[in-house]
Amino acid sequence: MSSIRLLLNPTRTAKQGVQVNIGKFSDEYIQMTTTLTCHADDMAAIGVSDGDSVRVRTEHGEAQFTCVQGKVPEGMVFVPYGPPTCKLMGGDTDGTGMPTSKGWEVDVEPVQ
Amino acid sequence: MQKSKHLPAGRKDRTMVLVDIRETKSVKASDVFLQVRPGKDFELITLLRAMLREQKVTDDQIAETGLTREQCVDFLDRAKAAKFGVFFFGMGLSMTRGKHMNSAALLTLAAELNAFTKFVAMPMRGHGNVTGADVIMRWQTGYPFGITFNRGYPRYNPGEFSTVDVLVRGDTDCAFIIGADPGATMPQPAIDHMAKVPTIVLDPHVTHTSKLAKVHITTAPAGIAAPGTAYRMDEIPLPLKPAIDSPYPSDEEVVRRINEAVAQKADWLGTRPQSIQHQPIS
Repeated sequence: MSSIRLLLNPTRTAKQGVQVNIGKFSDEYIQMTTTLTCHADDMAAIGVSDGDSVRVRTEHGEAQFTCVQGKVPEGMVFVPYGPPTCKLMGGDTDGTGMPTSKGWEVDVEPVQ
Repeated sequence: MQKSKHLPAGRKDRTMVLVDIRETKSVKASDVFLQVRPGKDFELITLLRAMLREQKVTDDQIAETGLTREQCVDFLDRAKAAKFGVFFFGMGLSMTRGKHMNSAALLTLAAELNAFTKFVAMPMRGHGNVTGADVIMRWQTGYPFGITFNRGYPRYNPGEFSTVDVLVRGDTDCAFIIGADPGATMPQPAIDHMAKVPTIVLDPHVTHTSKLAKVHITTAPAGIAAPGTAYRMDEIPLPLKPAIDSPYPSDEEVVRRINEAVAQKADWLGTRPQSIQHQPIS
């Protein structure tokens, strides 16, 4: 079990868009925004199996997610936007007004 | 899909090219899928612009983007042969490294394709009425977002007056949030500042922002229980009639009543339009 560096891509999904209008405190919304989709080889490298918890760290913060295996490219992880991904984002917008909220490197490790 | 005079076969007359860093459900709906490497959008668009102008581009440069020369040539051939092409672009361009430069590159490519055919670019907007907010701010102030009125007239500077920057720097000592939930989407430093200052939220639902706000005023959902206008992604305004009644006031009514209450207060800053004295030019 060890920490590995992966590319985090918070995304929007159609299901998430529906849940936004139902309520962000519903179990479904919380489950959706805390589920990290990962490549099988990356999961093996981290040392976790389907449904295990992982901790994602950036220089700005950390959050816990449930890791599930999915059809995503190796080296990349995907999670729908939500309060957990906010914790990982920095406030710098590079003078554009837009924070970097997709495609940045994070450290992923299993939760002991 | 819509059939028209020039495209009588509907979908069969159209071509959809999908560009993404991974295979999504949209791949099934597309004719061509181009899997670009993450963070290589700007490079790919710049290479396409060069190839469009028949400038020299090496295979190594193309390979860096995750695509092949054949894929790029095929894409440009299709784009040039189209009767009317549209680039729909989203946050994959604007929120990754490069940000506005990625969007600017794509707009330039769309402009340059007009040497061959009609081509436009259109941003894919999020849920809700994002386009409407931009359109209204644009015709009222001349700018779409990132505007300050602190000198009594609108000034525009993304990175300085945009929401995240203003909150992260801690410039505001009060926040008024209408029809948005930045507490669930913005970077943590921006959320932390909203929790520190008096934040007032107008929203039909209890949101993450209302949990950290000092005041939450429940309003009727626009388009369902309150009338209003939503703008389609292509900036066509759609008037909405409420389908049901609500015991709650609309956002517009709450803001109007706040304005009326503020107007009753003394003008201690001397910044209201009626209090600005115009100096005669001598």
